[in-house]
Amino acid sequence: MTIPLPARIGLLVVLTTGFYTYVGQLVPQKEVQPPQETAIRADLTTADMVTVGRQIMEGKGLCFTCHTIGKSGVLRFPDLDGVASRAATREPGLSDVEYFAKSIYAPDSFIVPGFNPGMPVINKPPIGLTDQEILCVIAYLQTLGGTATVTLQTSHRYYTAPGAIPPAPPDEKAEPGEKLPLTLPPAQKGETPKAPAAGPTPGKKGEV
Amino acid sequence: MNGVRSKQLLFVLGPLTGLVMFGAVIIVATFLTNREYREPDRAPIAIVDPTPRASGLADEAAAADAAAKAKPYVEAEYRRFPVVGSRVAIWAVAQLHLLFAAFVLAVPIFALIIEVIGYKTGDKRYDRLAHEFSKLLSVSFSLTATFGAFLTFMLIALYPKFTNYLMSVFSPTFLPYVLLFFAEAFFLYTYYYGWGKFHPLVHIALGAGLNLVGTGIMLIANSWLTFMMSPRGISDSGALISLEDAINNYTWMPINVHRIIANVAFGGSVAAAYAAFKFLAADTDEERAHYDWMGYIGNFVAIISFLPLPFAGYWLAKEIYAYSQTLGLTMMGGAFSWLFIIQAVLIGNLFLGANYYLWLGMGRVEGAQPFQRFVKYLLVAIVLCFMIWATPRSIIATVSEIRAMGGSTHPILGFFGVMSAKNTAVNILILTTFMSFLLYRRTGRTATVSWAKTGQAVQLLIFGAAAVFVIFLGVYGYFVEASVRIGLSVPQVSSVLFAMVSISVIDIFLFRRPKLTGEVRWGRIPAISQYVLIFIAVTFTWLMGLMGYVRSGLRQHWHVYGVIRDTSPDAFTPTLGFATQVVSVTVLLFFVLIGFVFWLASLHDRPDFEAGTKAS
Repeated sequence: MTIPLPARIGLLVVLTTGFYTYVGQLVPQKEVQPPQETAIRADLTTADMVTVGRQIMEGKGLCFTCHTIGKSGVLRFPDLDGVASRAATREPGLSDVEYFAKSIYAPDSFIVPGFNPGMPVINKPPIGLTDQEILCVIAYLQTLGGTATVTLQTSHRYYTAPGAIPPAPPDEKAEPGEKLPLTLPPAQKGETPKAPAAGPTPGKKGEV
Repeated sequence: MNGVRSKQLLFVLGPLTGLVMFGAVIIVATFLTNREYREPDRAPIAIVDPTPRASGLADEAAAADAAAKAKPYVEAEYRRFPVVGSRVAIWAVAQLHLLFAAFVLAVPIFALIIEVIGYKTGDKRYDRLAHEFSKLLSVSFSLTATFGAFLTFMLIALYPKFTNYLMSVFSPTFLPYVLLFFAEAFFLYTYYYGWGKFHPLVHIALGAGLNLVGTGIMLIANSWLTFMMSPRGISDSGALISLEDAINNYTWMPINVHRIIANVAFGGSVAAAYAAFKFLAADTDEERAHYDWMGYIGNFVAIISFLPLPFAGYWLAKEIYAYSQTLGLTMMGGAFSWLFIIQAVLIGNLFLGANYYLWLGMGRVEGAQPFQRFVKYLLVAIVLCFMIWATPRSIIATVSEIRAMGGSTHPILGFFGVMSAKNTAVNILILTTFMSFLLYRRTGRTATVSWAKTGQAVQLLIFGAAAVFVIFLGVYGYFVEASVRIGLSVPQVSSVLFAMVSISVIDIFLFRRPKLTGEVRWGRIPAISQYVLIFIAVTFTWLMGLMGYVRSGLRQHWHVYGVIRDTSPDAFTPTLGFATQVVSVTVLLFFVLIGFVFWLASLHDRPDFEAGTKAS
């Protein structure tokens, strides 16, 4: 029996698309939901912040798309294992918290030697972490080779906790490694602390 | 005789049935009306109070009227499409629109080139071939426009708020778009129906106009979709600052170039599939020879356009990274990274199919045996490259397997999962396919120029040097830091492009006035080669669907990346398995519709009804 030509061609088309659909089922299947807003309660302890920070890094922050923990060899982005111990001494004059904050708010201002600029601005869309969420991330990062110390009342040069003394606006012209002012001007009563501009907008390459 | 009586009977029964049905409707309506509740006959309402039921009905009507009048206008953000949901509905319609649009834009490009070759050489076969290609255009154009209108209405109905935003940004581009569309219709139908009716140069000018206008339409539409991916020229809240910047955003030009090349490759493959269909259905050797030649030309167009496509892809990916690292990393290292393994399978199949067709094609040329012995080496190279390209960085494994491997990366295969290996594999794959073309070109002819041996030696040297250089850079990439490694893909691509261009130029001069050693017997090719052409067309179409998904899906839960967030129930990114199912359904729908186009085009060659009746 001869199969009619249209049926033969139809069969070939169906089998080919079927094969590719089958290949599509063989790869890992993951449904990615839009990031959920993490509720940051005002009474979070540092230990709670570490847990929340880890969740943010795995989810909304997309950190582990690039960064790894405890991996060596050919890496495109720095491994975070032991990063807390390196952070305290990475840039002269910057504490670990200040270094982490700078890496997150102005990621292109310092590039780890051997790597290319590639870290996006985290506190603006599309990722858009809030200042409190970033504090939680810093708390988690501090546990990678150190001990978490930050609280929701911790201020740094890019963020002033409610009720705390507003820090000096960041010096965008500061060269990498330049010592930052350690003394902060006193806050004026009733003045609303303002978060400074954070890093370049998408598409504009920052200075390394 | 019986047949005539039956027809007469049917002629009488038709109106009779209609009358019976009409009578039945009247009876049923009367029956229902007679049983309707009616108010009893009473004195006028001014004298007698209404019954409680009547006043209750009046109150209800008044309340409903008041509620209707007080209903506030609420602007819908989203509407739901039944069963499959809004996203899948838009996805399928957009994909079908784009597939037909790609075909309609591509066919005039190579039809015009073939027509120009025919005009320059005076060979009428080329003119006939170009005309044959253009037969596929008119119905496809109508389907493109229909799906375009369908997509527009679906966007307005299902995503009104977002569509309204896009209109607020791009409304100045709508009038030029519509005018160009009118011009496209004018050029397309004049080009097709005017075949052989004008001076050849006038007709060629019409073809050039068709291509220019078609490209213009594509550029405008590309600005809308690339803006969604890499918005520019707007404020933080999305207000338009510069329309020029919104159009000329980061990914606009790379997408334009990528689409033009991909459209030609896709259009060539679908036209080759049409030729294959006609070849398989042909009754005479003459028809088979013609459609074999047409299929060869279609496939040649597809593969030659396909070879530079990965380079255009590199540029697009580079611009995506330049715009937003997050977007780039989502594509290559995040939710979509495994999609590129599926892509590797598709492209590997395309290369295998294209090479296999060429090798089968050598059989139609007398004296091709000396070249056919190289086929096995080419096959080994292609299979090896395919395997390397399809090797993932990390492997899906059980816990015990991961423990045995010492991690999710295989100790040996893991080396093939990184970009150094993959870039090398794809470049060698391109070089190997190019070599197949060169061998095919040599079948049945010998170079007669005095410097033939030197020329061939130089070609071989360039080819070998390019291959060694590409492999060297691939291996070198393992020993340098990421910042250096990323830059190595540029010299790899450049060396392959240089090899392809320089060898082609030498080849053109080398085979000027060659000595013919064997005749090309068009039509003398195994039937399986035609199924390979159809397989290539389906694979191209599926690849277009898959890559269309990654381009659009990359935005994830954003309508306009970083500016307008998708808050609909469809805002999640589906599994790759689901995405491939949608792509497959769309591809099948496309082939049903393109089959209809092929059938309509083939009606040209059939005798008309009257002539057929008389002949029988």
